[in-house]
Amino acid sequence: MPKSSTVLLVWVLQCCAVIAHAAAPADSIPHLSNGKPDLSGHWNNPYTPDMAVKGRVLDPKTRQPLDLSRAPLPDARSSAAGSGPRTLDLPYTEWGLKHWKSYDPVNDGDYAGSCLPFGMSRNINSPHGVQLVQSPEALAMLFEQNTWFHWVPTAGQKWPQDMPPSWNGISTGHWDGDTLVIETTGFNGYTRLDTAGHPHSKQLTLINTLRRVDAKTIEHTVTVHDPKTYTRDWMNVRTWRLKPASDVVMEYSCEENNLGNLFNGVIKPWKPPEDEDED
Amino acid sequence: MKTEAATRSWLALCAASLFVMLPARAHHSTAAEFDASKPVTFTGTVQKVMWMNPHIYTHIEVKQAGAPSMVYHVEGGAPNALFRQGWRKDSLKVGDVVTVSGRRAKNPDSPNVGQATITAPDGHKIFSGDGPAKVSGD
Repeated sequence: MPKSSTVLLVWVLQCCAVIAHAAAPADSIPHLSNGKPDLSGHWNNPYTPDMAVKGRVLDPKTRQPLDLSRAPLPDARSSAAGSGPRTLDLPYTEWGLKHWKSYDPVNDGDYAGSCLPFGMSRNINSPHGVQLVQSPEALAMLFEQNTWFHWVPTAGQKWPQDMPPSWNGISTGHWDGDTLVIETTGFNGYTRLDTAGHPHSKQLTLINTLRRVDAKTIEHTVTVHDPKTYTRDWMNVRTWRLKPASDVVMEYSCEENNLGNLFNGVIKPWKPPEDEDED
Repeated sequence: MKTEAATRSWLALCAASLFVMLPARAHHSTAAEFDASKPVTFTGTVQKVMWMNPHIYTHIEVKQAGAPSMVYHVEGGAPNALFRQGWRKDSLKVGDVVTVSGRRAKNPDSPNVGQATITAPDGHKIFSGDGPAKVSGD
């Protein structure tokens, strides 16, 4: 073989090796039998007790931070655990601002401390990870937090029209290319978006997207569409990491010792609001 | 004294920061139960470890001269999170002697101590940071 041909062959082989290496992460994304990315796995989704942290509240269209006043709210009730003084940190409507300023789980009753369902948003925000189990027809989200689950049909199945409002809402999923889009509605309005207590109404549509960018990473976005509570839509973008194989989803019973705290008065039990509005 | 007060403030800030960093603390309002103005430090003997959600409790008996023993219930993190950090229920054993710094409950009758650190006689922290059974790698 002429020397020039040998050089060319080596160069081509090297190029092939480089291309193969570059393509490896994408190829390593598992796929379902319908060709869509398989999101299954035990994921470390970042604990997000406050969705309105400066710089994290984005315009869903541009993904740029929203310009928010963040003015202090001196007439707001005392903050929930672990969060600072309340500010104008989201684009509230009048109704939304009223419910942001008045949230006081310590004195008015704590639904999370009472071990009631956190709601779809706060389930995903919670710190203990989520196991995803997926088929071409559906996605099951197994939240370690309080051993809750959530079912997301992804192949066009319809829920009954007359499903009652619920803590976690009703989700349907569809694919936009390789991104799974999960829309959730049908909330009972008893929950908050996060531990800090950011409000939502029964009109909330929560849009979560999940895109497996490589074998060990999911890009997660959540968009809040709730015209009763917010004057415009806003979003968070987060990165989920695949947990090591040694890290398995575990049982979690909130009642184990919160029951005692409810009986002895450390946690004030939650009750449904008496002046519950219907929308 | 000014220096002592400053030190106390600094410790309070550190404790508050630690509190914020601990995800397991989010489940109910610790601020509602514990009194930031009631810091407490004591050395005692482990009676038992209640490995329960959402927070573990370590019962620690403290002898008191001329009075019955006091048994404090020291609140810790979430058991699943502690397990992943390499801690186990038997990381502390009955009879172990430890020193605790934390805050008393607002309710004067409550034996609970929150925002606490538990320190072994050799100085290492128990149920905090990586534990002895920590598994790394994936």
